[in-house]
Amino acid sequence: MLLPPIPSPDPLLLPLPPVALKALLLVTFTLHLMAVNLGVGGSLIMAVHAWRGKPEDRDLVRRLAPLLPAAVTFAITLGIAPLLFVQLTYGPFFYTASVLTAVPWLALIFLLMAGYGLLYRFVGSAAAPAIHATSGILGSLLLLSVGLMLVNVTTLSLRPDLWAAHAAASPHGLRMNTADPTLWPRYLHMVAGIAAVAGLLLAGWGAWRRHAYARRVGLLWFIVATASQAAWGTWLLVRQPDPVFGLLMNTTTAPSLMMWISITCGGLALFMAIPASQAGAPAKAVWAPFGLGLAAVLGMILLRDQARDASLAAFGFHPEALPHKTDWLSLGVFGLTLVGLVVLLIVILRWATQPAPSAPAAE
Amino acid sequence: MNHPVWDLPLLGSGWIIGIISIIHVSIAHLVVGAGIWLAIMEGRAQRAADGDLQAWLRSRAKALLWLSSIFGAATGVGIWVAIGLVNPTATQHLIRAFVMGWAIEWLIFAGEMATLIVLVRAYDRLKPRQRLVLYWLYAFCAWLSLVVINGIITFMLSPGKGWTASHAMWDGFFNATYLPSLLLRTFVALALGGLWGLAAGGSSNPTLKSRILKPTALFTLAGVLLAAASGWYYFQSFPPAARELVLGNLKGATSLAQGFRWALWGLGAFLVPGLLVLWAFFAPQTFRRPVALLGLLLACWGFGGFEWIREVARKPFVIRDVMYSNGIRVEQVAGYLKDGFLPQNAWARTFAASKGDTDLAKGEALLRSQCLACHTRDGYRSLKALTASNSEGDNVAFIQALRELDPALNPYLDRMPPFAGTEQEAELLGKYLGSLKAK
Repeated sequence: MLLPPIPSPDPLLLPLPPVALKALLLVTFTLHLMAVNLGVGGSLIMAVHAWRGKPEDRDLVRRLAPLLPAAVTFAITLGIAPLLFVQLTYGPFFYTASVLTAVPWLALIFLLMAGYGLLYRFVGSAAAPAIHATSGILGSLLLLSVGLMLVNVTTLSLRPDLWAAHAAASPHGLRMNTADPTLWPRYLHMVAGIAAVAGLLLAGWGAWRRHAYARRVGLLWFIVATASQAAWGTWLLVRQPDPVFGLLMNTTTAPSLMMWISITCGGLALFMAIPASQAGAPAKAVWAPFGLGLAAVLGMILLRDQARDASLAAFGFHPEALPHKTDWLSLGVFGLTLVGLVVLLIVILRWATQPAPSAPAAE
Repeated sequence: MNHPVWDLPLLGSGWIIGIISIIHVSIAHLVVGAGIWLAIMEGRAQRAADGDLQAWLRSRAKALLWLSSIFGAATGVGIWVAIGLVNPTATQHLIRAFVMGWAIEWLIFAGEMATLIVLVRAYDRLKPRQRLVLYWLYAFCAWLSLVVINGIITFMLSPGKGWTASHAMWDGFFNATYLPSLLLRTFVALALGGLWGLAAGGSSNPTLKSRILKPTALFTLAGVLLAAASGWYYFQSFPPAARELVLGNLKGATSLAQGFRWALWGLGAFLVPGLLVLWAFFAPQTFRRPVALLGLLLACWGFGGFEWIREVARKPFVIRDVMYSNGIRVEQVAGYLKDGFLPQNAWARTFAASKGDTDLAKGEALLRSQCLACHTRDGYRSLKALTASNSEGDNVAFIQALRELDPALNPYLDRMPPFAGTEQEAELLGKYLGSLKAK
C-alpha cells in the first residue's frame, strides 16, 4: 500500500516557537468562535423569533437584531487569524485538503457574501413580516453552510489516508469529504453548539438587562440544542478513526480527561438551565449554567486541538517538532500594534457608551 | 508543485484569482481613499457648520461599512482561499515568510472595522470632535493596512538579495519596489475613493450637490494626477528583466483585442476619471450618478490592468528569483533535472498511480504539476492549440529545450519556468502533449 501523499513542509523556519503559535491559534480561534456563536447563532435565533412574530418576539428582534451584522463582521475578522496560524503550522494538511475539495471550499466565499447580504436585509428591512423573517432564516442558513465548508476541509485535512481515493474520484475538486464518516456528525455537533451558546448569550443578556423573555427563550434554545448533543456528540465519537477513538476512551489520557470534563460541564449546565428557565426563576439562576456552558465550550476547543494532533501523529506529523527561529523584531511590532489596538478599542468603546448629547449636534 | 493540483478545465485556475482579486483590490483601495475623503469632507462640513452635509456623510459612512464588511472582508478572505487553491506551495511559502506581517495587518484591520462600526452605530452619542477623530482613525487604519500588505505584494516582484540571504521578514518587506508601489496604491486609492464620492454625490439633492461635487472633484483629480506620476516612478523601480517583459508585452500587443485591452486600461485609469472630474467641477448640477458609476467601473478595470501588468512583470516566477509560477523553487530545479521530478513528488506519483502508471499517466502528472498553473489543456492558453501542428517529436524537442537553464539555448526562460525533470520525463510529457490531439 502506498504511503499517504503528504507534501513536505515549507523549508522556511517558523517565526515563533510552535507552542507560542499553538497558543495564538487557540486564543484567536476561541475569539472567532464566540463571535460566530453571537453573529451566526444569534441570526438563527432572531430569524426564528421574527418568524414567530408575537409581540414579545418582535420586541426581542427589534432590540437585538441590529447588533448582528457587526457580530458577523467580527466573526469574519477574527476568523482570519486562526486560519493564518492553521496554515502556518498544519499547511501540508490544510492546503492538500482544500485543493482536493476546491469547489466547495471556494463556494464558502459566495455563501458568506450572500448570507451576510441577506442578514443586512433582515436587519434593515421594512418589508412585510414574512419576507423579513424569510431573509433572516435564509441568511442564517447560508451562514451556517459556511461552517459546513470549513468542517469539510478540516475533516479531510485530518485523513491523509482518504486523500488518494478522493483525488482519483474528484480530479476537479468538486466532491465534498463525504467518504469521511465524521463529516455530518461533526457539522451537526458544531451547529448545535452554535445555537446553544447563542442561546446562553441571549439568556445572559436577558439576566443583565432584566428582560425575562430573553432570559427564558435563551435558556430554552440552550437546553434543546445541548440536549441534542447527546445524539450528535455520541455519533461523532463513535465515528472517530481508531487511534482517536482509542485515545478518547482511555480515561488516562489528556484528551479523554478533557472530553469528560467538558461533557460534565455541559451536562451540569443543562440540568441547571432547566429550573432557571421556568417562569418565576430568579435572574441570577442564569449565571451558573452560563459559566458552566462556556467552560464546556473552552474544554471542547482544547479537546478539538488535542484530537487533531492525535490524528496527525498517526501519520508522523508532530507540530511541536517543527523548526523555528524567533523573530523578535516582528514580535515586538506585533506587540506594539496589539497595545495600540487595545488602547484604541478602550477609547472608542468609552465614546460609544457615553450618554448621548441632549441636542444632536449640527443636525 | 509539492501539493495536489486543482485542475479547472477551460478557464484555468489562475483566472479565479484574477476575478476575485480585481474585485477585492478595487474595493480595498476604494475604501482607503473613501475613508480619507470622508474625513476631509467631515472636517469641511464641521468648519462650515453644515449639518446637511454631515448627515449626508453619515449615510456614506454606513454605505462604506456595508461595502467593506460584506464585499471587502469576504473577497479578502476569497483571495486567500483562491491563492491557496491555485498555488498552495507559494501561499505556504509566503505565509511562512510573512506570518507576523499578516498578523500585524489583522490587528490593524480589526481596528479599522471597530472604528467604522462605532462611528456608524454610535453616531448620535458622539460629540462632533469625536466623530471627526473617528473618521480620521478609520482612514488611518485603512491606509496602514495597505502599508503592511504592500510589503508582501511587492516582495513577490522584488524580494531582493537581502531576504534571499537572511530570510528575515523585514528584509523582504522593505524591498526595492515597496515605496513606489505604496505611493502609487495610495494615489489610486484616492482616485477610486473620490470617484465613489462623485457617484454618491451625483444623486444628492440639488442644494448639496455642488458642496459635495466640487471638493470631491479636486480630491479625485489629485489622486488621478499623482497616480499617473507615481505609476511612472513605480515602473522605473521594477527589476530590469521585469521592465523588459512589460515593455515587450506592450510592443507585442499588435492584435485588435490586445490593443483594445491596453487602450481601455488607459481610458479607465486616467482619461475617463479626468473628464468626469472636469464635468463634476464645472457643471455639478448636470452631473449624474450613472455616469460616475460607469467611470468608477472603468477606473477599477484600469486598476485591474495595473495588477495584470504586475503579474506579467513577475513572470516566470510567482516570487521573483525564488519560486517559479508552478510552485517549484529555483533551488530545486537542478535536483529535478538530475534525479527526476516524479520520484520526488508524492502527488504527481499519486496521480500517475491512479491512472495505472502508464507513460501517458506519468506525462499527464507532469503536465498537471508543471504546466497547469498557467495553461489549460483545451481552453485558456490551450496546450492542445499551442501544440496542434507539432509532431510528438517536436513536442519532445520543445520540452527538452525547456530543460535548458542557459537563455541562449532556452528562449522561453524569461517568461516560462524551465521544465524541471529528466530527459526521460521530458519524453513522457511530450508524449502526453501529443495525445491531446486525439482528445
